[in-house]
Amino acid sequence: MNKSLRRTTDLMRDVLQTAFRLLPWPCEPGLREVGNPGPDSPVVVTGNYDLTVRRVTRALAGCDVWLVVAPSAGINVWCAASGGHLGSHQVVTALKTSGIEQRVGHRRAVLPQLAATGVVAREVSHRCGWKVRFGPVYAADLPRYLAAQGTKDETMRRVRFDWSERLQMAATWAAPSGLIMAALAAPFRPHWILPLAALAAALSLAIFFLYDRMPSPRGLLLAGASVGVALASVWSADGSAGALWTALLAPPALLALLTVDYSGSTPIAGGSHFEERGWHIVLDSERCRGVFSCFEVCPEACFERREEPRRAVHALPDRCIRCGACVVQCPLDALRFEDEDGVRIEPETIRRYKLNLLGKRAVDAGEGPSAPAASGT
Amino acid sequence: MSSLALMRWLESAPERYDSGMRLLTLGRVSALHDTLARTAVSAEGSHVLEIGCGTGSVTRLLVQRGARVTALDQNPEMLEQARRRLADASPGRAELIEQTACEIDTLPDSHYDAVVASLSLSEMSRSERAFVLREARRRLRPGGLLVVGDEVVPHRKLHRFVHSALRAPQALLGWLLTGSVSHPIPDLVHELRQAGMEICGEQRWLLAGLAVVTARRKP
Repeated sequence: MNKSLRRTTDLMRDVLQTAFRLLPWPCEPGLREVGNPGPDSPVVVTGNYDLTVRRVTRALAGCDVWLVVAPSAGINVWCAASGGHLGSHQVVTALKTSGIEQRVGHRRAVLPQLAATGVVAREVSHRCGWKVRFGPVYAADLPRYLAAQGTKDETMRRVRFDWSERLQMAATWAAPSGLIMAALAAPFRPHWILPLAALAAALSLAIFFLYDRMPSPRGLLLAGASVGVALASVWSADGSAGALWTALLAPPALLALLTVDYSGSTPIAGGSHFEERGWHIVLDSERCRGVFSCFEVCPEACFERREEPRRAVHALPDRCIRCGACVVQCPLDALRFEDEDGVRIEPETIRRYKLNLLGKRAVDAGEGPSAPAASGT
Repeated sequence: MSSLALMRWLESAPERYDSGMRLLTLGRVSALHDTLARTAVSAEGSHVLEIGCGTGSVTRLLVQRGARVTALDQNPEMLEQARRRLADASPGRAELIEQTACEIDTLPDSHYDAVVASLSLSEMSRSERAFVLREARRRLRPGGLLVVGDEVVPHRKLHRFVHSALRAPQALLGWLLTGSVSHPIPDLVHELRQAGMEICGEQRWLLAGLAVVTARRKP
């Protein structure tokens, strides 16, 4: 394929996969060469979300690196790791079966930092002998990280959520919700298709650019939905079949759009279900011996390293987004989730079930008599 | 909250896996399971290794036919379902291990009478599948059987056309119903031969999109 055609198809795939990011976009897992890697070249691992693989490859242009694509069900690294699709098992599988073991003389691999919610570094080492380290959050920082021999400054460790990420997330929600709203309007009110699609786009943009700047985002969203439903009902009350259709479909459509947990698509107020239940991170300083894995993987840089005595401090708990990476990685189980009543979720439960405690398991964990996911203090 | 509902739906995929598979295969998955178990268990007390046991449907059939089963799956929630399903089957006849398929290289060589893989190879990448098939062969005693039941690409042009036309909606439905992403295997027989196996037989269902292939480790 010639270069410009390739660039065009890549761009089209970028746009399509950004707009429908909520669906899995798998590419073939396995080994890829970037540049001319040799037996001593670094090994970088990522998930098999097509968009990510292309971005990582582009970011590594000019480097000689082995890229191992692990099976993450076609989902992006952070979501896959937090949802149980990119864990130690998938990384072990990729390292053992991709053929990388026959190509390099060492057994050291760099993982994306955001995989730390799912992949347990020491378990990978135990299962297949590879030492894995968590590299930078962003693929763009990989060349700098590799050049610095694997040391990370705070800019490499922190999630940013700048305007371009907000725009991407808005597109991710605007495309499917716009399509759904347009499809609902199509049978009886085709002239509403464009305005409704535009409304979906405008709402998505507003939500992602204003979410963390609104005093009570969810209250405002619900108020907005109620007003929208009321307006739609009044506007369409002419007794026709179209009016009935609108009356039936407008409320659920608007409510669905406006009550979606947008915070799950942001690193701002992540884990809002945890937030509602009052789950927070507790650091047991008696157990901490200053391994500092929490410091290395926290995407909000909430932890500080202290010497004498050597231990970590959860210095900025207000910044915590409850991603669970610190809990998963601490080899001494010094970190855990706890709610306001002191009910704990043990670290092993988070390692096993990831953050899949948010939905069905949240009920079991806090309220159910069998309580498989949590234990009282 | 709508997202919470979606999250609960996606999370409960292991519980829905069996009914989802029945729906997606129009019920043919039961015939596939029966064929796998019947072919794999040659005699009472056969030792069978199962790769990717999922919710334990085939494991249970193998145990009921008198086999001792070592079953692997990497998904702890699927294994929970399997444990529940096997609770009332002959206790002690099935050992369930949380392990990836590629870790079968840690199991003893030339040890098992049969290796079974039901709908697990199509969830693997090509390189993973090649590795697993090669290692599966090594785990079999000489003359032992490798029995694979999975989604495959049909041979005939018309079947292939229908198959590819239905692929996208089927993949989406499959993901929503069972939480798994599979890719029909283009040439299972060829891949088994590449792994050094001798093909003994093949049976197909559902416009030839679902197959059980039996292969033998040469004595």
